Amino acid sequence: MLSTFLSHQRKSFWRSRNRGGSIATQVLMGFFMLYFLAVAVGVGLGMTVFLPKIFKGVDIITSFNGIILYYFALDFVMRLQLQELPTLSIIPYLHLKVPKSKIIGFLNIKALFSAFNLWPILLFFPFIFMEIADEYGAFAVLMYIISILSITLFNNYLILYIKRKSITNVYYTLVGFVIIAIFAAFEYFKLISLISTSDFVFRGIGEKPYLGFGFTIAALAIFKLNSTFLYNNLYVEELGAKQEKKVSTDYAFLNRFGKVGELAALELKLILRHKRSRSSIILGFFFLLYGFMFYREKLINSDSFGTMMFAGIFMTGVSIIIYGQFMFAWQSAHFDGLLSNKINFKNFIKAKFLLFTIASTIISLLSTFYGFLSWKLVLMHFVCYLYNIGFGTVIVLYLATYNYKRIDITKAASFNYQGTGATQWLLMFPYALTPILIYLPFSLLHIPYWGLFTVGIFGIVMLLMRGFWVNLITAKFEKQRYKIAEGFRE
Amino acid sequence: MILEVNKLKKVYGDKTVVNIDHIQIQQGETIGLVGNNGAGKTTFFRMLLDLIRPSEGEVLSKGKNVADGDEWKNYTASFLDEGFLIDYLTPEEYFTFIGSLNNLSVADVGSYLTQYAEFFNGEILNSWKYIRDFSKGNQNKVGIAAALMQKPELLILDEPFANLDPTTQIRLKKILKEYPGNMTTFISSHDLNHVTDVCSRIILVEKGKVIKDFKTDENTLKELENYFST
Repeated sequence: MLSTFLSHQRKSFWRSRNRGGSIATQVLMGFFMLYFLAVAVGVGLGMTVFLPKIFKGVDIITSFNGIILYYFALDFVMRLQLQELPTLSIIPYLHLKVPKSKIIGFLNIKALFSAFNLWPILLFFPFIFMEIADEYGAFAVLMYIISILSITLFNNYLILYIKRKSITNVYYTLVGFVIIAIFAAFEYFKLISLISTSDFVFRGIGEKPYLGFGFTIAALAIFKLNSTFLYNNLYVEELGAKQEKKVSTDYAFLNRFGKVGELAALELKLILRHKRSRSSIILGFFFLLYGFMFYREKLINSDSFGTMMFAGIFMTGVSIIIYGQFMFAWQSAHFDGLLSNKINFKNFIKAKFLLFTIASTIISLLSTFYGFLSWKLVLMHFVCYLYNIGFGTVIVLYLATYNYKRIDITKAASFNYQGTGATQWLLMFPYALTPILIYLPFSLLHIPYWGLFTVGIFGIVMLLMRGFWVNLITAKFEKQRYKIAEGFRE
Repeated sequence: MILEVNKLKKVYGDKTVVNIDHIQIQQGETIGLVGNNGAGKTTFFRMLLDLIRPSEGEVLSKGKNVADGDEWKNYTASFLDEGFLIDYLTPEEYFTFIGSLNNLSVADVGSYLTQYAEFFNGEILNSWKYIRDFSKGNQNKVGIAAALMQKPELLILDEPFANLDPTTQIRLKKILKEYPGNMTTFISSHDLNHVTDVCSRIILVEKGKVIKDFKTDENTLKELENYFST
């Protein structure tokens, strides 16, 4: 029976209507997934090298033990936002002659198919085999593995339980991140240390391996709790995340912008009330860490802004790029309504500019924490910010008038490539290359700061020309509107 | 004359979906557009609202081509399908938004909505739901009420009676018939009873062409039934 369920699931995945259209897109996404898996494997294998470098002067096993609980805390918060309830898929079976317990078994197994359950294995297992084995022996290795798998399952089913009880909300995710950040700060100022707690726990397992069963018991308990809850509440309307009361909201700060502000508020609601748009914004915050991969001491010291600029532009403009690549399509479901109502197209375009500017401003302010690495980065981010709001917005909105692909934003976000087409991939070229090309000659002349200055001036000039760009894009939009509307109706 | 259609044609590939030579609509008329599925009713309405570019011909609203400007939006309100609703808003937010486009204050919208309490039957307001969570019938009510709220001179509704419960159908008929002022109403419907009851003029279309265009009288319903049963 279970295998029948699973084969139906496989079919529903492969035959899904909103699976990415073109083969090229899928191949590319395949590469991305492979890439992320490879990164996980690489980090896992390389842990013996990374750990001593990050935690200087600390015993390698202590630091390994130390990060485990941190990882799972982070894992928990991420799951809170991203992991989905495997619910809807069982509706067609509920009225058939299938015992409840089978359906619940299926739900439980289906919940295991999540990237979150694969990551800890790839990350931690190599180190366990390489280092723990030497230190504590085979039994300890086994118990480490059992502990890690147990915590993974614990998180997995706890999240499902929490989501089913629907005590979840975007804000909890943010609160979760803040709590983790506070712990990290405590760690840094040596007040309270989650690392040493984590080390204490896992050192205990190393020395008395059977203690690892503690995690297993906890995991089994939560599994049982979850299954019992399912058994007692196997009704479709009770299984999904519960409907909370929806209230009307008003964004007072946008009111001062008049009609443009109203349209911007409308779109802000769109972003916050749909999963796909919401997670694209949250993704933007994650990309704030992108700089740590790019900004090397060597590059900073040698003023190689050309190399670093890409990261700067991407981070400060991430909301423009990620949200903007599907521009207008977000509103595909009610595009006819927008066109036939008394909405001035110019205001419509202006509202997009306004939203982009606000979003980019917020994220650029957040990105100033790179100032701890060097003040030069803050300068560069400021330049990138000017470029983004001055010209990046123009590129995105201009290209948006060529996007006719409908997207259904009520559908899940992760691994949903509906509406992805060539435009999305092409977007990045003019966007990222323009400032780098402007900067390049100055870099060759060894006057990098003049290069930054010029890019900044370019951004400001474009910003001052915004009225012109708005008119240009509005005219383009007016010309293209039938085509866009037609595409969105399909 | 509020609306005039000249040699309007829409062709998809080699199929002509709409092919209307000439229609004139006077202020204050109530017109029903009747025809089977695929007759081109919705495509025609979309061209009236400048949502589709005609292959040939033009739609003149108060003498001006709708494709050339926005003026017609000042006195035209419409509801064709759920695509006109912004479904992630609560009904209150949606009404406020539509109101603000027409320079109605929140208070104006509120007082307007109280008039429609009976029409909403207590299901729309204060229901703590987004529009997308409503049934189709209730979504229709929201769309129709939002259109009427704009106090339009020209109202265009595509199958307004579909999905509505019987009580609401009767209430809607009453609203359309008794609407104060000189509103021009253009509706399409598959329900011959309702359409002959509400409309003073019927336009019958088939495969994109106007077959009949006449004033309603006591024989109209019979005539239409005869036409559709053969």
